[in-house]
Amino acid sequence: MEEDEFIGEKTFQRYCAEFIKHSQQIGDSWEWRPSKDCSDGYMCKIHFQIKNGSVMSHLGASTHGQTCLPMEEAFELPLDDCEVIETAAASEVIKYEYHVLYSCSHQVPVLYFRASFLDGRPLTLKDIWEGVHECYKTRLLQGPWDTITQQEHPILGQPFFVLHPCKTNEFMTPVLKNSQKINKNVNYITSWLSIVGPVVGLNLPLSYAKATSQDERNVH
Amino acid sequence: MTSREHQVSLCNCVPLLRRLLCDAPWRKARPLHALSRYFRSRVFPSKMAEEPQSVLQLPPSSAAGGEGLTDVSPETTTPEPPSSAAVSPGTEEPAGDTKKKIDILLKAVGDTPIMKTKKWAVERTRTIQGLIDFIKKFLKLVASEQLFIYVNQSFAPSPDQECFGSDGKLVLHYCKSQAWG
Repeated sequence: MEEDEFIGEKTFQRYCAEFIKHSQQIGDSWEWRPSKDCSDGYMCKIHFQIKNGSVMSHLGASTHGQTCLPMEEAFELPLDDCEVIETAAASEVIKYEYHVLYSCSHQVPVLYFRASFLDGRPLTLKDIWEGVHECYKTRLLQGPWDTITQQEHPILGQPFFVLHPCKTNEFMTPVLKNSQKINKNVNYITSWLSIVGPVVGLNLPLSYAKATSQDERNVH
Repeated sequence: MTSREHQVSLCNCVPLLRRLLCDAPWRKARPLHALSRYFRSRVFPSKMAEEPQSVLQLPPSSAAGGEGLTDVSPETTTPEPPSSAAVSPGTEEPAGDTKKKIDILLKAVGDTPIMKTKKWAVERTRTIQGLIDFIKKFLKLVASEQLFIYVNQSFAPSPDQECFGSDGKLVLHYCKSQAWG
C-alpha cells in the first residue's frame, strides 16, 4: 500500500502562489483572497458560461454568433456582472465561482464552487450534477452524494457546493509517486485542479502543465 | 592525398555533383540509401521501416469518439522519450504540416494495467475524452473505475482538449482510480 501524500497548509499556500503567478501571466483571473485575520485564505476564480457550453468572451465582444472559444484561451472578466450581458438572455448565462481552500482535517485542498444565473437564481444540486462532464457523469451518478454536496463555506459562511476531499489522496498519490521517481517537482495544486476541475466545468489551459516544468528548472 | 588519388575521388564526385546541380530543386533531397552507390560502404534505410507495421483500422466512430485509433507497432522496445519533453497544443508544428495524426505513447501509472499496445496513431481531432473512453474499453474497466490521463506525468488535460504533440508525438500517462472527490 503506497504511503499517502498529504500537504501542509504552508505548502498549500506556496503552491497556490505559484499557480496564481502563472495565472497572471496568461490572464486566467485566479486570485488569492486572504481571510479576515489573514492567517489563511483561498484561491478564487469567477467565470461566466452560456448554458449550451460556450464560454463568454470579454466585455465588448459580440455574443450573437456564440462562437465557441477554445477553452484554453484566456479572457478578461469584468468585475461587475451587470455589465456583461448585452445580447444573450440573462437566463442563459451562468456565473461560476470557484474557490480552492485548504482542509486541515483532510490535509488536502478542497474545491468549493457555486453557480447562479445572472438574475441571482442559484443552480440547484441537480442542475450541477447534470452539468458534470459526460466523461465523469457515470462515475458521479454511482455515488453523487459522496461526491458533490452542499456545505457552508468555512471562511465566507455561505452555502457552496463542494467536491468531497476524502478520496483526494487516493487519486493523487499514484501521480505524485510516479513523478517523484524521476525527481520531478510537481505543483500539487496544478495537478489536483487539472483532475477535479473538469468535473465541475473548470478547465485549466495546457500552459499550466508547462509552467510546472519551467518552475522546477528555475529552482534547480 | 596524392594528385592521383585526388583525381580518382574527383571522378567519383563529378557524376554526383552533376546530378545534384542539374536535378530539379525538389528532387535534390535524396534519401541516403539512394546515393549509397557513391560511397564505399552501403548505407541502409532506417531500421524502423523494415519492421512490419500492423495496422488495426477501426471504423471511425461518430458519437463515442473512442475508436479510430491506429496501432502503430506491436510490443515496442524502442527507448521511450523523456516525459518531461515539452508538450504543445500543436501550434509549434510548421505551417502546412499535413501530418494529420499524432503518435501517442501510453504509459501506465501505479497499479493500472499496462496496455499491450502502447503506441497509437491518433487523429488530431480526437479529444482526451475519446482517448479515455478508448483506454477504458481496451482495459475493460468497470463503471466504478475512473481513468485519468496526464501529460508531463502530472497534469490532466481537459476532456475536451484535442490531441496535440511536439513534433507530432505525445507521451501520456494513464491511471485508474476508484476514488473520487
